[in-house]
Amino acid sequence: MRNTLLTLATVGLAILGLYLLTQAEGSSGLLSALTLIFIWGIAAVSLNLINGQLGILSLGHHGFMLIGGYVTALLMLPEKERAPFRTRLLSDWARNHLDLDKWLRGAGLDFIANSIDLKFVVALFLAGLAAAVVGVIVGAPSLRLKGDYLAIVTFGFGEIIRLLPNAPEVAALTNGPLGIKGIPGDAGTVWWTFFAFLFVLWFLTRLKFSSYGRAFEGIREDEIAAEAMGVNLAYHKVLAFTISAFFAGVAGGLYASYLQSVDTQTFNFFVTFFLLVAISLGGLGSITGAVLGTAIVVLVRIYGGFLEKPYPAYVGYLGGAVVMLSAFAFSAYIRKARRLRPVVETKHLIFGALGVALLLVTVLFRNEPWMTQTVQFFGLRKILLAVILILIMIYRREGIMGRAEFSWKLIFGPREDIPTEEQRKQDAWLSNPDLNPDAAKKEDDDASA
Amino acid sequence: MPLLELRNLYKAFGGLQAISNVSLTVNEGEIVSIIGPNGAGKSTLFNLITGVYQPDRGDIIFEGERINGLTPDKVTRKGIARTFQNLRLFTHLTVLENVLIPQHHRLKSGWLAAVLRTPAYLKEEEEMRKMALEKLSFFGPRLMSFRLHQPVYVLSYANRRRTEMARAMATGAKLLLLDEPSAGMNPKETKEITQIIRRFRDEGGYTIVLVEHKMNLVGEISDRVVVLDYGEKIAEGDYKDVVNDPKVIEAYLGRREE
Repeated sequence: MRNTLLTLATVGLAILGLYLLTQAEGSSGLLSALTLIFIWGIAAVSLNLINGQLGILSLGHHGFMLIGGYVTALLMLPEKERAPFRTRLLSDWARNHLDLDKWLRGAGLDFIANSIDLKFVVALFLAGLAAAVVGVIVGAPSLRLKGDYLAIVTFGFGEIIRLLPNAPEVAALTNGPLGIKGIPGDAGTVWWTFFAFLFVLWFLTRLKFSSYGRAFEGIREDEIAAEAMGVNLAYHKVLAFTISAFFAGVAGGLYASYLQSVDTQTFNFFVTFFLLVAISLGGLGSITGAVLGTAIVVLVRIYGGFLEKPYPAYVGYLGGAVVMLSAFAFSAYIRKARRLRPVVETKHLIFGALGVALLLVTVLFRNEPWMTQTVQFFGLRKILLAVILILIMIYRREGIMGRAEFSWKLIFGPREDIPTEEQRKQDAWLSNPDLNPDAAKKEDDDASA
Repeated sequence: MPLLELRNLYKAFGGLQAISNVSLTVNEGEIVSIIGPNGAGKSTLFNLITGVYQPDRGDIIFEGERINGLTPDKVTRKGIARTFQNLRLFTHLTVLENVLIPQHHRLKSGWLAAVLRTPAYLKEEEEMRKMALEKLSFFGPRLMSFRLHQPVYVLSYANRRRTEMARAMATGAKLLLLDEPSAGMNPKETKEITQIIRRFRDEGGYTIVLVEHKMNLVGEISDRVVVLDYGEKIAEGDYKDVVNDPKVIEAYLGRREE
């Protein structure tokens, strides 16, 4: 009860904050960052369902997003935008039949056809559905494979799907490599993406904490054991794959609306790669982690622009010195936290020495022309992301959240997995001084106090 | 009618005849032990019964129904559950979740009903929880209260074995196949597990087939002992008769030079 209220209050606050933000001046940058976090968040959380919860490496997510993007584009495109490329390459059939307006009016649902917002809901749902159908077709045969083999097959399927719109046979629909432009952008606004994001979070969290979610995680932990315990592997794998594809399609539709255009380069393999980075950063298997990871990656990409601006060269040297010195300090800190001896190793001293040397060079030669000339570091954002990823993999391999989820219980309690004093006394193991020296020590402390 | 009947089973891996012409009947309420030297085919026999391997020839009949050719999950649904020689728990999930997953196959609600938390689903979930606690309470308070919510990787080895047995029971099976239930346990824990296995039968109403190396455990609880050697059944009967059988002694100790 308390937790539900807290959740509702948080959502309310988020809505209020978002409203104030849309009213504020000069907030367009932040708003588009948030929009992207929501869109990519949906995609990351859906990929997390397969890669994190089901424990299967799938590399074809961009394919499902692309299907969603194209379906949304085709269904939402106004007639005048669609005319040029449709008439050029025949397809009277497509023109006459692939028209959401016509379908809706035919079904007597004029009120939906008249409202572009409601039409978007229908289009996004159909986009998800199309992706889910393809998900079944791709998943059913390939999910028999495991590990690397499955990853390669899903990657192959993803690329096939991605390149399909270029084929002349379907170019009448997709406009070939030129792609589709002029998609109404309503669904790409921050409100749309926010509510879609909330819905997906709600849906997938519910799924995770249901019997089906447990079955997925059982398959991740031990496939043989899960099967021996009566879990139908094929069904559950295809189910998770399909649900994931559905939400990938929705994310693709939202992204196409955000960009107001879609072509085969919009959803290339780097999309999947980007999502993988995000969920590995946040913690595979954790929905909270997927969202956190996405936020980090998107924010670095959007607000990391200052890293790539032209600066005088000494800024670069100074930056290098700071990086070296902090690497030195960080390694010492980590070794201290892990109680490793010696705290400072010789090889780490090299970092410190380099940092000091760079600092000295900067100070001594600050007026030299090669120090004051302007330089620009292109691609530093990507390097920064890569470095963050490397550090996470070295020092916290399970990601920021690990497999844990955010929950109110984690903050306000009660934590059910930690024994209370009462339970501690009853538990044979915890109260036995031979087995648990800590308990004996504690009792001694109590006695002396 | 016997609960489980194996009729002339054969299984070969390449040139190795792992199981050859093994027949066995297990009646309801029995505790049957399968013993034999390493490599005798005990675990292969378990894998054949549970559908991990398919027999080359012969039939496996459970409650009058032929079950060979079924996949492991279907065999479990028929009512045969197993534990593994080298624990195969869902390590990162909690004890409770470990005992809930085997009940998933009985769930009638679809995934959408589960997401929407329909009353029917919530009722089923409640029943699953009740059953999980019932099975875990077989082992006394060890796995209850706060331990329910601890991940399996923090448990001691003996507690993991107990969790695995509770998990097998929670599938709703009638027949439990226990693969070395006392492996890695000290004498005191072994004694305790012996009593628990007997209670499975007496209180839980399970029929039990177990593979075991510790002879005192086997001698104490078995109604019947089956001895395998090189994939063949070389003896069957009372523990006392079996251990004095010259063929069994030969299989374990070798033939005396004349």
